[in-house]
Amino acid sequence: MACLPDQKILDYLDGEIKSIEHSLVRDHLLVCSRCRQTADRYTELQKILAQPVHAEPPAWLVPQIMKRIYADTPRYTSIAALIAASFIFFVTWIYIYFDFSRSSLVQALRLTANSTSGWLVNIIKAISAIYTSVQATFKACRAFLEMLLHVRLGFPLVIAFVLAFSALLLFVTTRLLLKKTGDVKK
Amino acid sequence: MILDEDQVLIKKTLKGDKRAFEELMRKYEKKIFSFVIRMVRNEETAIDLTQDFFIKVFTVLDKYNFEYKFSTWAYRICYNLVIDHIRKNQGQVHSLDDDSVSAKDMLSSENVIRHDGFKNLSQEESRLYIWQMVENIPPKFRELILLRYIQELKYEEIAEITALPVGTIKNRIFKAKEILKKEMEKDGLPA
Repeated sequence: MACLPDQKILDYLDGEIKSIEHSLVRDHLLVCSRCRQTADRYTELQKILAQPVHAEPPAWLVPQIMKRIYADTPRYTSIAALIAASFIFFVTWIYIYFDFSRSSLVQALRLTANSTSGWLVNIIKAISAIYTSVQATFKACRAFLEMLLHVRLGFPLVIAFVLAFSALLLFVTTRLLLKKTGDVKK
Repeated sequence: MILDEDQVLIKKTLKGDKRAFEELMRKYEKKIFSFVIRMVRNEETAIDLTQDFFIKVFTVLDKYNFEYKFSTWAYRICYNLVIDHIRKNQGQVHSLDDDSVSAKDMLSSENVIRHDGFKNLSQEESRLYIWQMVENIPPKFRELILLRYIQELKYEEIAEITALPVGTIKNRIFKAKEILKKEMEKDGLPA
């Protein structure tokens, strides 16, 4: 019987041929030393291939990738904090401009704070104190500017300034946070 | 839907867990690097491509479909990255079909060659020798051997990654083994 083609021997070793043909190949290998040697070589080869020699990546590879990915990633918490800060900034200016500290709600809060105790009251007191001092500073600056420029800084001008400043703050900081992300995605 | 180990790590990564992505990288770095370095045959390039691969995976992770295996999806990205690199640098990269560097030459540079051929090589040396030979077979065979044995993928998964029919893959892997067997015989490697 003629020698088997290599493909047939490999298919036999891989278990890819069934029943009768499988028996025929097995019987042939018993009597043909040449085919048996070929089968042995392929068995050895497959055994070696099944135990791959992995190349070792440098130890610094993963830390470096981590640094590249996470140092340059926009921090969504930072962006959220920035938006919140801008909002507080804007509300503060509105509060200062309209002098809401005289409103009945704020007065009620202050009275509640004065008559009770606890950590929430202390927070209200602290915020109230900050607002009052910022308001006083703002009023002083405004009076100083009006005196210096000989103009009256009306409501639209102040609101426009506050809006523009808030938008600029948001834009610049977001740009700074997002800038390096472009390098990562390139 | 039941998530496998990789998919759990992906979910955590998408929620902002840095350690989860690091764990995912640690799991795949050796296999990916081994595949890449054997395809491009240059350590520096392999390091760059491995970095590019993980950064690419990270940036498109939100597009990963949880119905598929992560490894197949990731290897497809890796395969495309390597093939693109080879195509772009065909002039600069060592010709991948170049047979001028024999496995023997490579082993010589590694100081493991024996002047009496490979008859006296230990089992470990034989293993190193065969895997060095794999680097010298033509890329169309090499890539499939690497995907099959380094990445331990099934024929169907390789077909998905390379967009080749399963029949072609089987045939090319057979050809690759035939080449390797002939090299073994030529160099007198004991069976």
